[in-house]
Amino acid sequence: MPAAKPKSSEIPARFQVAKRTLLMDRFMNQFIKIGGLSVIVAVFGIFLFILIQILPLFQGAKVEELKAVQLDRADYIAVGIDEWAEVPFALQANGTFVFTDLFGTRGTFAKTSDFVDTAGFGAAHYLQARQEVAIGTRDGRFSVVKLNYRPVFDADRNRTIDVALAPSPLYPIGPTGGTVQKIRYADAGQGNRKLAAALVEHEGKVGLHVTTLAQRRGLMGGGQIAVGDRHDLTPLIEGELEAVLAPTTADAVLVVTKSGEILYFFLGANGFELRQRFTPFSDLPDASLSLAEFIFGDVTLVAVSRTTGQMRGYSLYTKPHSGVREFGHTKTFETLPAASDVFAAGTRNKAFIVGGPNHGALMYSTTEATRWSTQTAFRPVQAVIGGKYDRMIFLDDDDVLHFYELKDPHPEASFKAFFGKLWYEGQPEPTFDWQSTGGSDDFEPKLSLVPLIIGSLKGTFYAMLFAVPIALLAAVYTSQFLRPSVKTIVKPTMEIMASLPSVVLGFLAALWLAPILDTRVPSILCLVLALPGSAVLFGWAWTKLPPRGRILIAPGNEFLVYIPVMFLVGYAAWSFGPVLEQIAFVVTDPATGSRTADFRLWWPTVTGTPYEQRNSMVVGFMMGFAVIPIIFTIAEDSLSNVPQALRSGSLALGASRWQTAFRIVLPTASAGIFSALMIGLGRAVGETMIVVMATGNTPIMEFNMFSGMRTLSANIAVELPEAPHHGTLYRTLFLGAMMLFLMTFAVNTLAEVLRQRLRDRYKTVE
Amino acid sequence: MPSDKKFFSTTARPVGESWVWVTSMGLAVGLTMIVFLLGMIMRNGISVFWPKPVAQVTLVEGSQAGIRGAITLGGELVKTQTKRVAALDADGNPLPPGEEFQFFVGNKETYGFTFKYLDADQVAAKTFPADVVVAERLEYGRAIFTPISLRVGADRVIPVGDPSFASTLDSLIDAANARRVEIRHIERDLIGKINRGLEQNRLRVRAIEAKSSRTPADEAVLAEISASNAALQVEFETLAAEAKALRDLQVVDRLLAITPDGTDRDYAVGDLIEVTRPNDLSFGQKVGIFFHRFWSFLSDEPREANTEGGIFPAIFGTFVMTLIMSVAVTPFGVLAAIYLREYAKQGPFVRAVRIAVNNLAGVPSIVFGVFGLGFFVYMVGGTLDQLFFSLSLPTPTFGTGGVLWAGLTLALMTVPVVIVATEEALAAVSRGSREGSLACGASKWQTIQRIVLPASLPGILTGLILAMARGAGEVAPLMLVGVVKLAPTLPIDGLYPYVHLERKFMHLGFHIFDLGFQSPDSEAAKPMVFATTFLLILLVVCLNLGAILIRNHLRKKYKTATF
Repeated sequence: MPAAKPKSSEIPARFQVAKRTLLMDRFMNQFIKIGGLSVIVAVFGIFLFILIQILPLFQGAKVEELKAVQLDRADYIAVGIDEWAEVPFALQANGTFVFTDLFGTRGTFAKTSDFVDTAGFGAAHYLQARQEVAIGTRDGRFSVVKLNYRPVFDADRNRTIDVALAPSPLYPIGPTGGTVQKIRYADAGQGNRKLAAALVEHEGKVGLHVTTLAQRRGLMGGGQIAVGDRHDLTPLIEGELEAVLAPTTADAVLVVTKSGEILYFFLGANGFELRQRFTPFSDLPDASLSLAEFIFGDVTLVAVSRTTGQMRGYSLYTKPHSGVREFGHTKTFETLPAASDVFAAGTRNKAFIVGGPNHGALMYSTTEATRWSTQTAFRPVQAVIGGKYDRMIFLDDDDVLHFYELKDPHPEASFKAFFGKLWYEGQPEPTFDWQSTGGSDDFEPKLSLVPLIIGSLKGTFYAMLFAVPIALLAAVYTSQFLRPSVKTIVKPTMEIMASLPSVVLGFLAALWLAPILDTRVPSILCLVLALPGSAVLFGWAWTKLPPRGRILIAPGNEFLVYIPVMFLVGYAAWSFGPVLEQIAFVVTDPATGSRTADFRLWWPTVTGTPYEQRNSMVVGFMMGFAVIPIIFTIAEDSLSNVPQALRSGSLALGASRWQTAFRIVLPTASAGIFSALMIGLGRAVGETMIVVMATGNTPIMEFNMFSGMRTLSANIAVELPEAPHHGTLYRTLFLGAMMLFLMTFAVNTLAEVLRQRLRDRYKTVE
Repeated sequence: MPSDKKFFSTTARPVGESWVWVTSMGLAVGLTMIVFLLGMIMRNGISVFWPKPVAQVTLVEGSQAGIRGAITLGGELVKTQTKRVAALDADGNPLPPGEEFQFFVGNKETYGFTFKYLDADQVAAKTFPADVVVAERLEYGRAIFTPISLRVGADRVIPVGDPSFASTLDSLIDAANARRVEIRHIERDLIGKINRGLEQNRLRVRAIEAKSSRTPADEAVLAEISASNAALQVEFETLAAEAKALRDLQVVDRLLAITPDGTDRDYAVGDLIEVTRPNDLSFGQKVGIFFHRFWSFLSDEPREANTEGGIFPAIFGTFVMTLIMSVAVTPFGVLAAIYLREYAKQGPFVRAVRIAVNNLAGVPSIVFGVFGLGFFVYMVGGTLDQLFFSLSLPTPTFGTGGVLWAGLTLALMTVPVVIVATEEALAAVSRGSREGSLACGASKWQTIQRIVLPASLPGILTGLILAMARGAGEVAPLMLVGVVKLAPTLPIDGLYPYVHLERKFMHLGFHIFDLGFQSPDSEAAKPMVFATTFLLILLVVCLNLGAILIRNHLRKKYKTATF
């Protein structure tokens, strides 16, 4: 034992510490240090957790080649895949379907649809969503082959995908004996029109021919299919034909000419008429196209320039000037390394594959984003995307089937989608839009956070507009003029206001206040003008009184005297509202000439913006209840804490109490007041229940006082309970939460730093 | 001296006095707003329970404004207002707007509506007959009628004039209420227990079926389970028959009555919960009814999509959630505060942490809700399900919102409040007492434990109360982590293991949201919303007032010690 340490017996017994105490002390020291630190770390873990949740939104697609299968050498005219993405097929020109069992034991196997009398097939069109292949023959006919995929389970519950072919009869298209070079088939659904459009070569000339099929409605679903009308559109077209397209609505045909022009024929009551002709790359010297195809939904068309590899999207929308639904340039994609001629559209979203000489890329139409792009070691000639957007297949020119696994859970997400203007399908211009779910399968989720941010700012603005004057005036009065004995009652009363649960305020706003204010906007207008006016006038009149009169109202009691005045003036202004409405807010109905005095009608006629009962004014008023006490308390504190010496000095030099308050106290406490405003702002930005209940929750992009809004916070409360776990919407809502977090955290930190600085300043004054 | 006279002139006015009045306006408006709002909620919330007189209205001759053409109708006058749409005279010019009355007419099953607007000029006479009865019922809200006779059993008929009528009716209703309690007990507690047994058996069977190979012991267990299932089934049938017999008894006794518009009605006494004659009550009786109704509001379960009955489950759910929150938030908040104040080296880092913690209190509550959903429910809850409740998957046990996750989410949200308050309280403990303690030879922990913490206890309490008030009033995050509009079971009950933290729960604040916005008849639900609002405000305001009082008391106490 080292000699330096005194033996315990040398220390008088009364100074000895029990071992237990020491151990306990050491343990607690460590415990508190670790515990305290971990609580603090955990609290900030919130930030990290939310961040981790939103990161996948900004990642591209992950693509990995799983397998490559060599097929027999043949001329393949289409590839397709079942919905489980396990048994893809490739269609040979002789009508043989070659299936590949990717994960099973069957290897490659062929099935033939039995057409006895055909001279082979010239073209095919794979309709992935319906699992049908339309094939055109070399003798002017076509058939639709249905692929019936079906899971089969054996005794050990192992699943294999069974497939059977069900071809339709051969229907005529074009002149008898012509060769079908390109075919497109469209089926508008059970009992509706079906249509095949084909480029048919006959006697050295290529023509565009359309055959419609009519299906009678039977009792048990679809009835017999019969050939309807046959159209020859060749005379309507100038130039050589290159490709044909038919949207799934089966009411139109598009044709691409060799010069790069696209003609849009619409099937009306009197047959086909040319509705529009446009050239996607009219600005290039050679406008010819290497590719023009529809993406999922058949509203947007992707065109690739043959010469430059540029890619553009054209969408159908109602042109504002003509009122006709036509194609217009809406998208510009990243330029491809070479002209692409391979295309496959996803059947779950707006993603599509393009491929060309030694390249392949996965793009997303809505956001114009390139999700994935690669140099391939082969020349792709056919491609297809799995039905669940989880697999991709390329067929190369050596007849090798390349099978890829695709991991892209959030294709519709991108920085541009959240914060930029996007040109959504069917809309006449790019917009900021939030609409996360829609009715149909081909719906494009619109995930712009901008309208929500605007909504948050709008709600905050109107709340602050109402709350700031009242809170600051009250704070100045309470700290500077009010009698100290009354102050001990006034302050807690105002603080009670802060404790009102926001759900209560929201309920009152929606079910009580909104119906009252609905018809009383002119009265509110009167109140806003009358109350401050009456205060100024009353104060002015009071100062004109001789001292004997003035002494009746002791300094510090003004607000008590003003309360009855306020009630009188308030009542008068409230009653004057309808009178004002009769004078100022009269609308004349142009049809009948009758004149109605109603602000609710007047506002939309004059400003062109809507008037809603649950509007920003109501929200602002009720949110004011939540914000006023916060601003009041902090501002009052910072005003009261201005060193007494400053006030006394000012008063001693002969300044009036107002001059002291306005010129000395207010500037000194300005940083504190600013921080009060900031904290109030933070509260208003994040307020949820009031907004959920008191507005219509429509995401709009305007600052109109008499319409509603949807804020970031309300959006989360409304949509998150229904959002699928780890889906795009789920993560987008987390992104919204993160934005709220950052916004309020930044604002509050600024406020806190200011307050600390103010505290230091007071120290130097004292 | 003339100059002096001017200097101290009595006519001179201090500069800016009228601006002082403008600032006084700010305070006056703010105070009026809060007082008015609280008063309004109080008035509306309390008046729900006060028995209102029922008017028998006679309309003017030939008026079609009544119910189904009847010339009379009866109801509680809800409000009188100026008409929104002015009537037109013969030439089509608008007449000056008249008055209209809104009546609560009840009898929803007969009329199809419960409120009726009447123009003032359609009303010929209003009387308040003493024999009108308002009956609280199990379904269709309240009924308003005049009783004619009471049929007890198969053949005994007591007309309304009979002196024993009122007492017989009351005793029958009491008996029916008692039977209802018994039916509830059978159906919920006893049959609930059987269902639980069946569910557990099902899970045991699944566990055995999931095994790759079965032992003879497993087969024995399976046989035992199927025997137990059969026994439970027999028990269930006995109980169900018992409940049915009681239910049949409920509809034996009938009350014959006529509604104010002249329709004959025949009510089963078992459907009535309480009958009053509102026009024939003394003030004392009204007070009695008021407290009786208030008590049933507090202690009953909701009926009819929450628009009728009581809110006991919501009160209880709020209580349990706040309790979980407090239990979670106190140790962690205090621990962090002690670390920050007593252990951490004071410097820019701790200062930054302090600012950040302070600001966390200003982060919107919905953000915490989002975190709670992602972290507690999906991540922690999902993992717990995988580990311990994999048999009942895909039905989640902890992997869905529940009272535990709600409590923890709110604890996280309120931890900054507790940290800040505790730190303030720790800072207020005078240096002298610490040094005194250390000088006496106490260790650091002993000083904290015996001197600092007891002295700062009221401050910590303040923080906790503030946190509880904030937690009790918060709704937005709860909507994401487990609050529901109607929870069939309470989080704590008599079934093993008694505390069911995974269960969803009801909450006062969410109750308000749900009633006001998702109920089929929001007008009929309004009284309930106001009553619930009143209760919630009472709770929150009391908590806050308590905290404010403690704090003010503390400030005075420590003023000399610190500043």
